[in-house]
Amino acid sequence: MLDLLVIGAGLTGLFAAYTAARAGLHVRVIAHGAGATHWHAGTIDLLGYVENRDEAVANWTQALPELPPAHPYRLLGVDAIATALDAFQQFTVAAALPYVRPGTIMSLPAPSASEDESSQTRGQVEQIDNDNLGRNCQLISPVGAPRPVYLAPTAQQAGNLEDDRPLVIVGLEGMPEFYPALSAENLQKQGFYARTATLNLSPLLRRRDISPLQMARTLDKLDAQAQFTEMVADMAAPGERVGLPALLGMDAHTRLLTQLQEAVVDRGRDSAQHSDRRGTVLSVFEIPTLPPSVPGLRLDAALRIQLAGLGVRVEIGMEVCGFHATGRRIQWIETETGSRPLRHTARNYLLATGGILGGGIYADRCGRVKETVFDLPLTAPHARSHWLRPLFLDKRGHPIFQAGVSVNHHFRPLDQSGAPVYDNLWAAGSILAHTDPIRERSREGIAIATGYAAANGVIKSQ
Amino acid sequence: MKRMQTEILVIGGGATGTGVAWDAALRGFRTVLVEKRDLTHGTTGRYHGLLHSGARYVLKDPDSAVECISENRILRRTHTHCIEDTSGFFVVTPEDEDDYPDRFAAACRRLDVPCTEIPAASALRREPLLNPRISRVFELPDAAADSFLAAHATAQAARQAGATLLPYHELTRLHLSGGDGNRTLSGATILDTVSGEELHIDADLVINAAGAWSGHVAALADVEVKMILGKGVMLATNARLTNTVINRCKMPGDGDILVPIHTVTVIGTTDERVAEPEDLPIEQWEIDLMLTEGDKLVPGLSRTRILRAWAGVRPLYQETQLPGRPAQSENRAQSSKYPATKLPQDSRDATRALALLDHQQRDGLRGFITITGGKWTTFRLMAESAVDAACEQLGVSRPCRTADTPVPGVEQGHYWLGHRLNEVEDENLQSELVCECELVTRSMLEGAVQRNPTVTLDDLRRDVRLGMGPCQGGFCTYRAVGILHQLRAGNASSAAGEWNVAHMQSPAHHHRDSPTPEQQATASEPASVPTPQGDFRQRSAAVDPQAAVSQPNLLLRDFLQERWKGVAPILWGQQLRQERLDELIYLSILNADHLPVDDGESPLSSFYRSDSSISDLDR
Amino acid sequence: MQNTTVNSVGLSLNACIKCNICTSYCPVSEVTDSFPGPKYAAPQSERFRDFGHPYYEDDSGPISRPLAAGRMPDASVDYCSGCRVCNEVCPTGVRIAEINARARARIVAARGLSLRNRLLGRNELLGRMGSVAPGLANFALHNPLSRKLAASLFGVAEKAPLPRWHRETLNRWLARTRAQRLRSERKVIYFHGCATQYYEPFVGMAAILVLEHLGYEVIVPPQNCCGLPMLSNGEFGAAESYHRRNVARLAQYVNAGYPILGTSTSCTLTLKEEAPELLDLESDAGTRALKLATWDVFEWLRERLDQDQLPSDLRPLKQSDQPFILPYHAPCQLRAHRIGKPALDLLARIPNLDLRESQARCCGIAGTYGYKTEKYQIAMDVGRELFDYVASQANESDSDSRGPVSFTACDSETCRWQLEHGTGLPSRHPIELLAAAYGLYDLQARRPAGGN
Repeated sequence: MLDLLVIGAGLTGLFAAYTAARAGLHVRVIAHGAGATHWHAGTIDLLGYVENRDEAVANWTQALPELPPAHPYRLLGVDAIATALDAFQQFTVAAALPYVRPGTIMSLPAPSASEDESSQTRGQVEQIDNDNLGRNCQLISPVGAPRPVYLAPTAQQAGNLEDDRPLVIVGLEGMPEFYPALSAENLQKQGFYARTATLNLSPLLRRRDISPLQMARTLDKLDAQAQFTEMVADMAAPGERVGLPALLGMDAHTRLLTQLQEAVVDRGRDSAQHSDRRGTVLSVFEIPTLPPSVPGLRLDAALRIQLAGLGVRVEIGMEVCGFHATGRRIQWIETETGSRPLRHTARNYLLATGGILGGGIYADRCGRVKETVFDLPLTAPHARSHWLRPLFLDKRGHPIFQAGVSVNHHFRPLDQSGAPVYDNLWAAGSILAHTDPIRERSREGIAIATGYAAANGVIKSQ
Repeated sequence: MKRMQTEILVIGGGATGTGVAWDAALRGFRTVLVEKRDLTHGTTGRYHGLLHSGARYVLKDPDSAVECISENRILRRTHTHCIEDTSGFFVVTPEDEDDYPDRFAAACRRLDVPCTEIPAASALRREPLLNPRISRVFELPDAAADSFLAAHATAQAARQAGATLLPYHELTRLHLSGGDGNRTLSGATILDTVSGEELHIDADLVINAAGAWSGHVAALADVEVKMILGKGVMLATNARLTNTVINRCKMPGDGDILVPIHTVTVIGTTDERVAEPEDLPIEQWEIDLMLTEGDKLVPGLSRTRILRAWAGVRPLYQETQLPGRPAQSENRAQSSKYPATKLPQDSRDATRALALLDHQQRDGLRGFITITGGKWTTFRLMAESAVDAACEQLGVSRPCRTADTPVPGVEQGHYWLGHRLNEVEDENLQSELVCECELVTRSMLEGAVQRNPTVTLDDLRRDVRLGMGPCQGGFCTYRAVGILHQLRAGNASSAAGEWNVAHMQSPAHHHRDSPTPEQQATASEPASVPTPQGDFRQRSAAVDPQAAVSQPNLLLRDFLQERWKGVAPILWGQQLRQERLDELIYLSILNADHLPVDDGESPLSSFYRSDSSISDLDR
Repeated sequence: MQNTTVNSVGLSLNACIKCNICTSYCPVSEVTDSFPGPKYAAPQSERFRDFGHPYYEDDSGPISRPLAAGRMPDASVDYCSGCRVCNEVCPTGVRIAEINARARARIVAARGLSLRNRLLGRNELLGRMGSVAPGLANFALHNPLSRKLAASLFGVAEKAPLPRWHRETLNRWLARTRAQRLRSERKVIYFHGCATQYYEPFVGMAAILVLEHLGYEVIVPPQNCCGLPMLSNGEFGAAESYHRRNVARLAQYVNAGYPILGTSTSCTLTLKEEAPELLDLESDAGTRALKLATWDVFEWLRERLDQDQLPSDLRPLKQSDQPFILPYHAPCQLRAHRIGKPALDLLARIPNLDLRESQARCCGIAGTYGYKTEKYQIAMDVGRELFDYVASQANESDSDSRGPVSFTACDSETCRWQLEHGTGLPSRHPIELLAAAYGLYDLQARRPAGGN
């Protein structure tokens, strides 16, 4: 018998499953499709903006009081969020895809065992000290806008806009997903020095498909990595940071990043003032692109590999079509198959199906807003006329996207009277009410912090 | 201030205006057309795309029916590539009157509208989503027409015949001279809305082809033209539901037409009388009505994914006795051979026949003609009537040639749904797609930018269908802005040859079916046509691709807002989910709402904001 | 063929939000530009496919002109292998593989079917012909010269792993061992599929032995090809007649309430879903009853396990204390059932069996796809992920001296052949492992224990 069945394979579900499985629980994950991790930038956005304020949040620990009282972060508090992030960082180190607060890492990560042995000793991740706790930084978006981010993988560290080194934004010829001139121009408008360069990768690609995803796969190959490194190093000027679209390899990503870093810094060394920087300052970084996101795919793969190692099966293609509860206990859920419904039985269930985008919530023409698995009571605008605002980019966001499940501070879904609907059901992630994770730039923070809290709730209830 | 001199000045760049410019230029007049926004920005770009067989009006509005079938035959020759030969069904659903179908068939016969009754079962085989309870089906030569392409093709034909077309040029003043009895209109003051410069155009004759805005234009000449403005709401589905135009076989009403146009089916329409042709709210009840009525034709239609809603305004005109002035118009409806069954009460009942107002006869104002009313289907005939009247006023006799002169692009043959996919496949252009939904390649976009006035991304949308598919600009807005920005940065101006958007928009690098520019030049003749005088050849800002893309952040935000106002009224279910993904892209990944602000606004920024289809929650 | 525009398959394209998740998982577009990816091929291209144009004929004038019937705008969809990984990962439920299958059928309807694809679709006929004289047939098919000929004449890939006819069909074995077969009140129906009948009757034997061991009488009624090879080659008309015959032949058992169990994941998937859906037969009562009665054999065994009806006399597969390391690949066709991985749940009961679950997307063969000359290399490139996984397991177990990996396991026959071709290791159906663990079956020799 499963201790925990997680429904949903996004960051919330997978990290919650990881947390629970690490504590020794027998866990399985089912999901209708692959998770939203594939769409996002691959950074951990904790809280970028709060309503009615135009400027980005500088330190999320200080911004929490400005959130509505029922906001998931308010249910958790700073300490619980920090603990969850700490656990997440430990996971990323274990998975050899370390995430840190940009500005806190000064050295390269350890490539995974199969990769370059000699650089292993240099890998080191510093814990976030108290002075820096909660401080957001700003990374570069594909159009050159600042993205408020809390944690980022090594590959995105050097895009930190707190850094004053000049930037070169590098595009690839013919790639429809990245426009370095647009990005550089907007950076210049904000007072940064940025120039552009373009690489022609057709000699090493041999494919018509030059999407970032396909490029990243090509750059897993040793010979392609060597050629590419050569091109990038030739192009970079001493002291510059090199920004590339996020395509620096998939499985052999760390190896490529290390190579690039060393090559770029080596070239810089010829001019003496940068000689001390070898191995100490990251100079190559990725800029996220439109879905599918290569950094997101790497994070997804890291989670899946760790889960497989813990014996957690992740079964995709399972659409919930029913459930059975007696009293306040869910007995089983059913998913549709080619023939008869398939029954899944577990002691506890964690709902991590996401919001309207993830498919956890469905809003129909008549203005009904439904939770798609357990038909839980939702907090939602009462009529379609109250769903949207006239301006797409309205900073307040569209009310329908705050629709979701109300939970108590144990992350148990609540009914209208404020009592838990089921004793063995938890909910976490974008399905929660009182937050618009995309508008707030809090999606990953909510996923990690609430997923971790809900998993711990399950662990404690065992 | 710039000055121009011309014989005929056309106001309005929709189907009618471009048609008038084409006709006038073919007859050898020096012709200038001004349009305050992009070509087809008005009603022409907001209609369902039905090339009428006329059958819809055989009982209610026989004059219009006769005009339609005759023009239907002509346009298939002159604008072949703008038309998909879908054919049309008139179907009798259980809710429709029993006696209408027979009267309908008889009227079709009487008015020479080809009409064949076919077994309902065979209609269902051809269109399996149709309501299985339909009892009778008539097949008629309805078709689907691309009004953007047709206007561009007509405009190109007009240019080749020597006309000058000035989009983003707004009429601000009409120059009147003389006193009572000898009043003359001698020209106009025009504002270049991109550069802000003024332009004086002296003209022997001004033709008001401003469609729903005709009343406003006439008012500048101190003449009253009372338009009946009928707002029609339309919806587009995510993919085609039928490949045939479907009409309910009944008196025309709301939500009784399905038009397969490009990749979607358009459901049309409502008919609400409105006071002004702009700022048209789309009400929830109108959407619900369309869907409820649509279900009667295709059961389940209300549950299918709707991509977008929009409203257009029919520029209907019914000549009435004006106080103090005798009615002297040549409005054909007044002298109809075919009496309509009802008298006009509201816009649904107003005639769809064209209305020609010769203001010399009607109002004693020389040099001014208004052509309005009508249908898209009859735009060529409207142009012909207007230029006939112009000839009369100018005292010359030059026969109309448009009915026998194909516009550029007809050699491509009829449009067919698969042509873009076919070309992308043949030339393996999959990785060059900018707008994946509508299969728009980078080179199509570049061509449209370089050879056509592009002030906003919305102009590109009309040229190549950018952002018109399921994701409604989710993926391509960013790409298009990036490409435009790149073009500005350098290699843009290497414009070779005369590319135009008069052809079916072709992903293929080599337009296999289209002639070379030289061939076109020889095919489209008159080298001897006099051209308008003045410094018009100096490119205005509106046709300068450099200026067009100087504000990429503005372009991006404008287009996102333009797409939003069309999706907001229909956001539920899967399209709401789609919009959330679009939000993820523009907020989470691009942070487009915190880009540095470009200076100023485009001519249309405020339009996109004000013409919002939903009301503010806090209002 | 019935119309192909209306039903859940065609309209499921409306669910697409263009998110590219399918594109990031598609194993075929990853290795070749010939297939532009599932999003492009299905929800995107489908909006541009016209399904035979209506036109209007009028003697009187140029009112209309007929268009070429069934003008097909695209051909790259033929490079979709039909593995259904896209369906599996799509978060919005677009029936991508089925939309592609229908598009292929329309191409076939418009352009005709190649002899090669017609042959590959006639799995059953080939099987029956060869089984008349298996030795001769194997020689005729497998000698290098005839493979070269088949490649150049028909486009059947020279190196692709074609099966060998077994000396005895399953039916002949059943007839020969009739006296030994269990009679019982509790009955199940076995759907063997063509591969088991002609090439791998031992898989059927293993299944029958296990089911009898549970106390069930196994009825093997007359049956024919499920029609899948024809469906995937776009030959919908033929597929429909095959399917309808199966519905008729199995009706009496279905109506009697007996479960229809299969060891071929693709055959059972076809009975459950592919035929009803692609052929628009979902409202056909017989089709629907068969769909609801059909089980993958492990799906059914898992129910017995859950209800504590599984005999517990499972023995280790190896005498020594070393674990028996077994890389297992759940084939795409099984994952498309959306029943999880029931074989893993059963095999986990076998003592000292160290199961290694592959996360590879597809072995590449995808039914008949990898047999086509122009697609053979694509299939091998797709399979690389799986072959490498198996190799890594073998290397690992070598290095810590836990003994060699001697088998792989996989539920689908063509996938096993591809696995053997790509890894050099013999591959077994999980039912063979289960039968062996019950002491009923010789895993090495692939025959019932005791030589029967």
